[in-house]
Amino acid sequence: MTAGEAPRAPQEASICPSCGQPVWPGDTFCEACGAGLAATAPAVARAACSYCHTGKMGQDGYCESCGRKAPSGRDHCEADLGLLAGVTDRGLRHIRNEDAMALAAVQAPGGATAIAVVCDGVSESARPDQASLTAAKTALSVLLSAARQGADPAVASARAIEAAQAAVAALADGPNAPSATFVSAVVTAGAVTVCWRGDSRAYWLDAGELSAAQALTTDDSLAAEMVSAGLLSEAEAMASPQAHVVTGWLGADAGEAAPHVSTFVPPGPGAVLVCSDGLWNYQPEAAKLAMRALPAALREPLHAAQALTGFALARGGHDNVTVALVPFPPASPAGQVRVYPDDVLDHAAVKEMGE
Amino acid sequence: MSETGFTVDVFQNEYLPEGGREVNAIVTVLSPDTGSVGGASSEDAAEVIMVDCSGSMGAPQTKIVQARAATAAAIDVIRDGVAFAVIAGTQYATAVFPPNGGLVAADPQTRQDAKRAVSGLQPGGGTAIGQWLRLARDTFQSHPATLRHAILLTDGKNQHEKPRDLDAAIDACEGLFSCDCRGVGTDWEVAELRRISTRLLGTVDIVPDAAGLAADFAAMMEHAMGKQVAGIALRVWTPQSATVKFVKQAAPTVEDLTGRRTQSGPQAGDYPTGAWGAAESRDYHVCVQVTPAGIGQEMLAARVSLVSGQDILGQGLVRAIWTDDEALSTRIDWQVAHYTGQAELAQSIQEGLEARKRGDEELATAKLGRAVALAAESGNEDTAKLLGKVVDVVDAATGTVRLKKRVDDADEMALDTRSTRTVRTRK
Repeated sequence: MTAGEAPRAPQEASICPSCGQPVWPGDTFCEACGAGLAATAPAVARAACSYCHTGKMGQDGYCESCGRKAPSGRDHCEADLGLLAGVTDRGLRHIRNEDAMALAAVQAPGGATAIAVVCDGVSESARPDQASLTAAKTALSVLLSAARQGADPAVASARAIEAAQAAVAALADGPNAPSATFVSAVVTAGAVTVCWRGDSRAYWLDAGELSAAQALTTDDSLAAEMVSAGLLSEAEAMASPQAHVVTGWLGADAGEAAPHVSTFVPPGPGAVLVCSDGLWNYQPEAAKLAMRALPAALREPLHAAQALTGFALARGGHDNVTVALVPFPPASPAGQVRVYPDDVLDHAAVKEMGE
Repeated sequence: MSETGFTVDVFQNEYLPEGGREVNAIVTVLSPDTGSVGGASSEDAAEVIMVDCSGSMGAPQTKIVQARAATAAAIDVIRDGVAFAVIAGTQYATAVFPPNGGLVAADPQTRQDAKRAVSGLQPGGGTAIGQWLRLARDTFQSHPATLRHAILLTDGKNQHEKPRDLDAAIDACEGLFSCDCRGVGTDWEVAELRRISTRLLGTVDIVPDAAGLAADFAAMMEHAMGKQVAGIALRVWTPQSATVKFVKQAAPTVEDLTGRRTQSGPQAGDYPTGAWGAAESRDYHVCVQVTPAGIGQEMLAARVSLVSGQDILGQGLVRAIWTDDEALSTRIDWQVAHYTGQAELAQSIQEGLEARKRGDEELATAKLGRAVALAAESGNEDTAKLLGKVVDVVDAATGTVRLKKRVDDADEMALDTRSTRTVRTRK
């Protein structure tokens, strides 16, 4: 798997002990020969400190010189699955990353299919980081199973968000139920199917016409509702302190409202951007996002996702940032199934056997 | 890391506001139960008792009589196999038992012989405590035992040597043995004995009436016999560019260890904690100043280890996380707050009594009033009771007090010596 959880500092590749090809920190299998790498995975904790660049990281995860904590776990993760790529980052102001992403590239009966799910834990709820990761992984495993069986993406998306809602609701054990926003995109050669609750977004970035770029989702937020009711302009709503009050989410207290599912048929080549508000807060306009992401997003989606994440951090990184990019149409056959994070595959396999 | 079972717990609010530099933590250390420390055989322990035999000990005669009885009571508590000696102190120091100096292993016969020798102690001569300490040191060094403890009893001021002679003697003894100091009567100086007990990691207290000596000596010796391992230090690692503002023992008594640091690595220093008994619990207040990192960043502000030589017996982490969430950064850790108050309580008492001695009644009233309020607030009832013998309390909550016109010297000295005793948090 290419899925990696690398700290911000550039990491050196090590070598697969079986075939000698380069492997990357966080890889559990060699990309080239498929050999298991678990035992040889480089220990990130012993690398040089990415802050002072002089000290070594101690075994308890702090730099032996400057004392800074090693970026770990979900602080910064990158995944490149070929058909699509994503980056999620804690940002500069939050203590942890409450965003989560789950990605899959699969050779479905109908052709290569890319799936991206992005969830943003609601900070005011309990354990938002757990809510977002649970939602993303649960939905991805359902979408992946459906894609392999050639199921209709719209039907599958509705089932996936339903499963994610049930899984997040099951986390609740007190009054302040864990909750998260949700957006998924299933990209095939023929169409883009998006499904969402809350204010995480999907955009179409058109390779031909900048003006054809558009948001594929509409937020479940107070701001969006006021705009659609004609009470505020989009600019006024964005500036209002209530712009971020979400009116839809997944969780035990999410209510009955139905999720949104919509299918978009792209007019030509382009890319699908799936992101949390940590990105679009700094640039909500589709055309301007397209200017930033294209043309890199068409061929090097990881590079483009890194650039968009870097843009959000440069603007202040006030929130967690998650960016997934899917070039359209899904280019080459996906070959074997590739997923991020790694354990989703086991989950999906178990599910399939059970079905 | 060796498995010696010392537990180290850290209590702190790790959240700092943007730009925050000061990190405070209370580090609670608990030694393991009896037996699990290992190596604490009687053969590894040594005891020296220093008895003041200056002329004033004969006035009244009951003082020397009680001192002999107290020393005998302490000798009775010494475990079989522990090496011990008794020294008589005047302007010189003389070996009383064993008569030719050195240490001898305790057994029924040697205890009997020692008590006979002690019963012959006679008052006469001056007081040069530095001499006593030097002989105690030489006596300890004649024997390989590592758990070294001494008791020092005096009734007067250190009149027959210069203060710097005493300081030089303390320097020569530091780190070699621990020493509990007792003053009998009210003609001795609290500050003088505190200087010794602080540097030699012991206690200081007043025994106002010589009749109380025997019980006190027996209790002190009992406590010393419970020690299992000596030479334990608190090692504090801090990040590059950070500084240790202070390291204080906070319970059972306040002892400022900041100046006792010896560098043990490029970014680490050791602070002495002396000997530990079984299941003994002490709290330390560590304050570190760090270079602030950005919001959301985390830093290890200090790694606090309990070390014996190079063995790490236990370890705790003091962290700093910068946040723009005021609810987090303004949260007060109740342990830190409590011990900050207890340290201020001790300081207020000592400064208040000093001001009172100088005749500065206004400052004395303010300081002792503050002490009364802090003692009441923290539930330190023993200290509150002692304060009540020096001031009339009008309102404890606000610290409104009046200095008493007549104060018993013994009460004032008891308040001074016991001002550093803290209580643990109530919660």
